[in-house]
Amino acid sequence: MKKHNINPDSCTACTVCVAHCPVTAATNKFRGPKMVGPALERMRLSQEDVEPSLEYCSNCKNCDISCPSGVPISTLNMLARAKYYKTRKHSKRDYILSHSEQAAKLASMLPFGAALANMGMSMSRGMMKQIGISDKAPMPPYAKNSFVKQFKALRQQSYPDKVVFYPGCFINYNDPGVGMDFVAVMQANKYEVIVEENLVCCGSPLVVNGFLEEAEANAKTNVQILKKWTDQGIPVITCCTSCGLMLKQEYQELFHIEGVEEYAKHLYDAGEFLLELYDKGCLNTNFGTLKEQYMYHAPCHLRAQGMGLPGLELLELIPGLEVKNADAGCCGISGNYGFKDDKYDISMKIGSPLFAKLQASGLETTVSECGTCRLQIAHGAKVKTLHPMTLVRRAYEAASVKN
Amino acid sequence: MRENDVIVIGAGLAGLMAAAVAVQGGKKVMVLSLGAGTLTIGGGIIDVLGYADGGKPVATPSAGLLQVGPDHPYKKIGRQAIEESIRFFKEICAAEGYPYIGSLHETQWIPTAAGTLKPTCLVPKTMDTTQLKAADHVVVLGFTALKDFYPHLITENLGKISGFSNKSFEMMMVDPELSDGRDVTALDVARWLDTPEGLKDCTEKMRKLIKPGSVVIIPPVLGTRPDYAVADSLEQALQCTLVETAAVPPSITGLRLQTMMVAYLKKLGVRFVEQALVGRSIVENGKCTAVVTAGIDRERTYYGKAFILANGGFYGGGLMAEPGHVIEPIFNLPVFAPSDHELWANADLFSSSPQPFAKIGINVDEKMRPLDADGQVALDNVFVIGRNLQGYDFCFEKSGNGVALASGYQAAMSVHGEGN
Repeated sequence: MKKHNINPDSCTACTVCVAHCPVTAATNKFRGPKMVGPALERMRLSQEDVEPSLEYCSNCKNCDISCPSGVPISTLNMLARAKYYKTRKHSKRDYILSHSEQAAKLASMLPFGAALANMGMSMSRGMMKQIGISDKAPMPPYAKNSFVKQFKALRQQSYPDKVVFYPGCFINYNDPGVGMDFVAVMQANKYEVIVEENLVCCGSPLVVNGFLEEAEANAKTNVQILKKWTDQGIPVITCCTSCGLMLKQEYQELFHIEGVEEYAKHLYDAGEFLLELYDKGCLNTNFGTLKEQYMYHAPCHLRAQGMGLPGLELLELIPGLEVKNADAGCCGISGNYGFKDDKYDISMKIGSPLFAKLQASGLETTVSECGTCRLQIAHGAKVKTLHPMTLVRRAYEAASVKN
Repeated sequence: MRENDVIVIGAGLAGLMAAAVAVQGGKKVMVLSLGAGTLTIGGGIIDVLGYADGGKPVATPSAGLLQVGPDHPYKKIGRQAIEESIRFFKEICAAEGYPYIGSLHETQWIPTAAGTLKPTCLVPKTMDTTQLKAADHVVVLGFTALKDFYPHLITENLGKISGFSNKSFEMMMVDPELSDGRDVTALDVARWLDTPEGLKDCTEKMRKLIKPGSVVIIPPVLGTRPDYAVADSLEQALQCTLVETAAVPPSITGLRLQTMMVAYLKKLGVRFVEQALVGRSIVENGKCTAVVTAGIDRERTYYGKAFILANGGFYGGGLMAEPGHVIEPIFNLPVFAPSDHELWANADLFSSSPQPFAKIGINVDEKMRPLDADGQVALDNVFVIGRNLQGYDFCFEKSGNGVALASGYQAAMSVHGEGN
């Protein structure tokens, strides 16, 4: 497989990334991907070079997507951030935003923990603001029962074909319905879904705030667990595009983990996996008609994966369904970027063309794979949101009602 | 099984043009891109032919077409298709609300940010120099803290050029108040003018300086969107004529053109796969059936009936130089280059003589199909366009976007003709 070209000298300083960077467009405090990434990396290779505007990079990856020379610019930024924090203390805010998995785990272990935590969260927004978490950003509530809990209570039909599902923190703790929809869709395709309880956060929220060593530890844990399955040729599937990007691409760019190349070959986005079944003539296409209209937003972390927009293409197979690609760029949230008090306005400004387009469509619901994109869109455009898997599940259910 | 009629590899102007012609002909089209193409580097003006071999300016692009050598892509494409490609392109621009001016029968000499004149063929309305040529008095307007656009440099250098030396120049500055962060580029000023507040602010500031009836040379800052809303608003409010210059990257005119073309193609149902590094092809019985991308995770296969190779020569990775030979990595097409690689480059990097490697590329027939050393078609459902073509030096003759449009047009028309 093609390794990404980490060498900053591959950058010809052409500025295409500057023209396509949403943060650069939203604030002139950021010196831009070309300068902060490859240009300063050349300095950093010889001596410590602290660039204050590095903190403005949101790791949305539009620079990588636009680069004609294949330089993973955002990854250079994340590595520089990690280097910076090697000798410095993180802020309380960055610690909390990067370790949401710990808090979620705690909340899910206690009786009524989620409800209490949600109550606490709504009361403590003022306190969060004090440490630099925006009191305006759309903080996601915890679900009453985590995905893993709900999954364990589910009786699946057993099939010889199996896939491993990596739910990720957001689906597990905040939006388990998406995971349950995915399981139902796989069952409709005669696949049994395996969920490993010991998987941990993919590490994406850690990497963006410079907790690289912890992210690497998470990566090693996850790869070790998932490799048991991928070594047998059993695919690992994600519904969250940022987890997917981390698990297969950023693990390879950032860390040295034995066997990660071979493992990455078996990682799929849910939409992509189903479309591959379709190509092989194996997809259950017994969809009922859904006479519905939606807008679609392509997460940047999906666009960065080099596989087009499989979720959108999959939805086109459902009769009656009309889904229109908003194609209006980054939503602005970029993981936990938009939750930061000093980044909230930038994040909303980045998303404003998208919000305007979604509102102008007059459609009340937007479909998107990424959980935090959905949060931001609901917040910024005041529309409802769905994951594509929810619609696929409903199309199968509509067919069984008809039969 | 999903299959496309046409797969275009590369999303620069050549690839986007080929996709436009193909989709207008009713084809199912997919574009595989790695990076956003070079329009935001090179710019949105369409050079067709500015200088003949030897560096003498051509009278008009049309006249220049008669002078190109037998290996030149224009010779293979032919005058009729070149004219049709220009018409096709201008129709798209007009339909999308961002019309271009110019024709093959006139060279547009446009001012650059260095105060030189550059020959080109088609330009956005904001680069029309008709009023500039006629004016006795010219205002050169800069923006405070904007890099790479210095009114005194422009005034000084333009004053040395015949046709300008008899004009009087006046320099003015507007402060967009953007200097509290990074270095200011034309893109920052254009984005400021994209906003209603910025446009209002700029209008007021310019009103204090510019007299009605003025002709004003400004950097390319009249909005980032492919329309003339900013230009029209300013010109109407100030009753003046604004002329944008060619400038250094990031190119605003290129960004507008790229935005327009991509939006147009998506509207017609063309699918884009970004970050798609095409690594190899699958060829059966002299026909290509699929191309395969080399992702960081795994390969992905894209099936098609016809393939248009538009991945940008050496710069875009379409051609790769190795000691002693040049390869085309996807289809392994023959590339003609002197076997002594010392002859590829002129060691004097900034000399005024051409670089021989500029003309290294793939030889094609009149349909843009690649040819082998014996002149036989190497693959008959593969078409090669843009910077991968041999026989032209876009830099010295000023023909880059013109070859992109004409070869993109010709390749897609060949696909229609073949019934592929």
